[in-house]
Amino acid sequence: MAAELTRPLAELRSGDAASYGGKSATLGELIAAEIPVPPGFAVSCEAFRLFVSEAGLGNVIAHAVGRASSGDVDAVNRASHSISEAMHSAAMPEEVREQICSHYAALGDDVPVAVRSSALGEDSQEATFAGQQETYLWIRGADHVCDAVRDCWVSLYSPPAIAYRARLGSSDEPAMGVTVQEMVDAEVSGVMFTCNPLSGDPSMVAVNASWGLGLAVVGGEVTPDDYLVSKVTRELVRENVSTKTVEYVPAEGGAVCVEVPEERRSVACLDAEALATLVEVGKRVERYFGSRQDIEWAIDRGGDLFVVQSRPVTGLAKPEKQAATSAMSLIMSTFGAEKKD
Amino acid sequence: MYPYYALFDEDRREADEKRFWFWNSMHFPVPMPAFDVQCIDSPYQAVGAWQNRVFAVPPAMGIDYRIINGYVYISGNPVTDPEKVAERVDFFQRRAGYYYENWPELYEKWKDKVRELIDEITNLRVPDLPEYEPDEVMHEAGRNTAFVDVLDAYQRCLRLGDLMWQRHFEFLLLGYGTYSTFSDHCKASLPDIPEQHIAQMVAGIDVLLFRPDAELRRLARRAIEDGVDGAFVEGRTPTEIDAELSQSDAGRAWLEDLEQTKDPWFNMATGDGLYHYYRSWLDDPSIPYASLIGHITALKAGQQIDRPTEEITAERDRLASEYRELLSEEAKPPFDELLALSRMVFPYVEEHKFFCDYWFLTRWWNKLREFGELLARNGFLEDSEDIFQLGRHEVMSAFDELVLCWATGGAPRGPSFWPPIVARRKELLAKLGDWSPPPAVGVAPEVVTDPMTIMLWGVTTHRVQEWARQQDPAATELVGAPASPGTVEGPARVIRKIDELADVREGEILVTGSTSPAWAPIFSKIKATVTDVGGVMSHAAIVCREYGMPAVVGTGRATSVIRTGQNIRVDGTAGTVSIVDGAG
Repeated sequence: MAAELTRPLAELRSGDAASYGGKSATLGELIAAEIPVPPGFAVSCEAFRLFVSEAGLGNVIAHAVGRASSGDVDAVNRASHSISEAMHSAAMPEEVREQICSHYAALGDDVPVAVRSSALGEDSQEATFAGQQETYLWIRGADHVCDAVRDCWVSLYSPPAIAYRARLGSSDEPAMGVTVQEMVDAEVSGVMFTCNPLSGDPSMVAVNASWGLGLAVVGGEVTPDDYLVSKVTRELVRENVSTKTVEYVPAEGGAVCVEVPEERRSVACLDAEALATLVEVGKRVERYFGSRQDIEWAIDRGGDLFVVQSRPVTGLAKPEKQAATSAMSLIMSTFGAEKKD
Repeated sequence: MYPYYALFDEDRREADEKRFWFWNSMHFPVPMPAFDVQCIDSPYQAVGAWQNRVFAVPPAMGIDYRIINGYVYISGNPVTDPEKVAERVDFFQRRAGYYYENWPELYEKWKDKVRELIDEITNLRVPDLPEYEPDEVMHEAGRNTAFVDVLDAYQRCLRLGDLMWQRHFEFLLLGYGTYSTFSDHCKASLPDIPEQHIAQMVAGIDVLLFRPDAELRRLARRAIEDGVDGAFVEGRTPTEIDAELSQSDAGRAWLEDLEQTKDPWFNMATGDGLYHYYRSWLDDPSIPYASLIGHITALKAGQQIDRPTEEITAERDRLASEYRELLSEEAKPPFDELLALSRMVFPYVEEHKFFCDYWFLTRWWNKLREFGELLARNGFLEDSEDIFQLGRHEVMSAFDELVLCWATGGAPRGPSFWPPIVARRKELLAKLGDWSPPPAVGVAPEVVTDPMTIMLWGVTTHRVQEWARQQDPAATELVGAPASPGTVEGPARVIRKIDELADVREGEILVTGSTSPAWAPIFSKIKATVTDVGGVMSHAAIVCREYGMPAVVGTGRATSVIRTGQNIRVDGTAGTVSIVDGAG
């Protein structure tokens, strides 16, 4: 019954979300839709389960979690700490390690990659609360990749994650997948919504962008440039260029946060052409999934755009719901001439 | 100088002070000459008659006006009694319904009626007062003597103006209301849709108002093809250009073509027509000639000057179908119907200006100049143009005396009575022109509900609040409606009178009370447009968008706050105008 431990992203489809997590499955779909996505591979939930069982961590986990109740911060922290220590000292199953190394080698020679958790259940809000959105950028070398994968697993038992599940009263054994993707050496990166998340207007694409790797925007460390672009004409409808003080850049052993040089801080980081490309890709992703999307993207130093993540937009402000009505009755109401009962 | 009812007074003070009066700078950006008050009275009689007495728009009667220091302030009369409103709903539904059902047919008839009025004003004879009546007075039964003819002709001239204004407003309420409903319907589902996209979905392609400029482009091309383009040198007057053209056969053939084109396409006005200052291209060919020179220069530089009508059509249909696809299933049928209705009414919305405000009114003013000439010949005025410094009833009274003295042979008092009045009023108007009227006086309403105030003047609740905020004299940013996207910076050119239009220089930003589509030829010179009042559905806004030029309309007081020469930044996407520096 040798369960699958890893698979290239390109071979995943939405049906694989249950075994690889939503993020990896979505990236597989995006590749199928011919959206530019950096190549990579996914580690399955089964790999995590194998890790827990081989290292005999089940009891440690059950014991630690059992003592932690959601309201008791200290107990939760203690549980998280002891699980983390146990996981870090446990060896990764050889089979998992071998497969990761082989997929990694296939990407190239010591290619920098991004290692991200790929939560089960495609409720990103829930996953965010649960602290399951770990991201390790600019990881190089097979050993470091394996360490980062394990760090993702550890995050499943971060204090907020434990507290969250305790609050939910969930007794299921948690599990998660991991996504390993070639790193985009981003000059600019950010997020776009294929609607205006504030007004709910579906004819707009809202873009937030800042210099460097995506961490600064996602983590809210900078006020990003804010653009609203018409899907229909690609016109820039609104533009707020902000002062972008910091950016993440590649460094040995991960990404580091540095100050943006003075002369680039207040420069718009996207031009009309880049925005048009973004809107085009956003529309394609939206059309492919058939719903409004929240897309993380990056543009590399060669000017190529990559999508690194996409998920459905939730909690949208809905434009006022219109009752079915005739044109003539709408005109009558413009003139204050609607019939009162 | 102005009618007794046009001023604020003690008798109505209590009621008037409670009302909200906003400066109608869209139609009346400069102080009113006494005669031009006819272009307030007559249109407001007409719009009120249609809105209040024919269609009985349920919540709104007509518009009252008062003149303050020569500037026109207006205020709508609401219907507040719910029973009255309910009673009017029946009228409105039935009558508006009739117009919608029969629109194309009624509009064709409308055009015939207006053409008749144009013919009549063109052919109206201004009689002279002869030394002796001809024999026909004896021979032709019912033939009048000249004094009756003069009085009749003057009264007919005034009446023709009233008749035109009556027609002017016949379709206007429903036309604007239909468009406005379509716009609201789009925004309910697509809150961020740029207003210009809504206008683009509706706007006509082959619209009459584009013809005059299209004819100029054709003539420019012909001038090059026939090798007579050398006559069109920047800085030459139309007379000088004509003189050179008439030297050659090809030039004469071109001039012949121009003559043919002038009727009707040179019946464009240099402004919106509501002031006697606005002349037609026929009267003042400097604008079309400047445009011809511009077109010829562009053509020779290898530029494409034609309106790409096929592309515009394709784009208009693409916008409509893409926006439609984004709507919910319930919102689609009204979208389709409202779009079809808007396209049905839009030719009227655009074309009535050509027929009424330009073609008719420029001829009407010229006819009045002929009456002015008659008064000047008899010493009542120093110049025919001075007739516009008298109210229309004063002119009537001058004619009463003139024909009386003509009949009696007595000495008229007019020649010593009227010229000093004219002179005083000219001085006064010049002084009033320096005053900066506030955008509104009286009590600002919490919400603006009057449909016409919103549709025609763009005076929305939001706008009124913005005006209140902008009372701060140190404010360096003005907020208006984004009418055409893009951001530019440049020197301002504040234009408050049509004759200042010639001062506009290449690369300047036009700041004005409101723009007129007839100013199109100067649009190729300027970088952006800012207005005090105006809605984004106006034809002028559409022209700005066609020229791809940023525009912010309805700022309330751009012409009072901004000075010519100041550097300003216009953000036509956000709808803001900032003064970048104070020096010129």
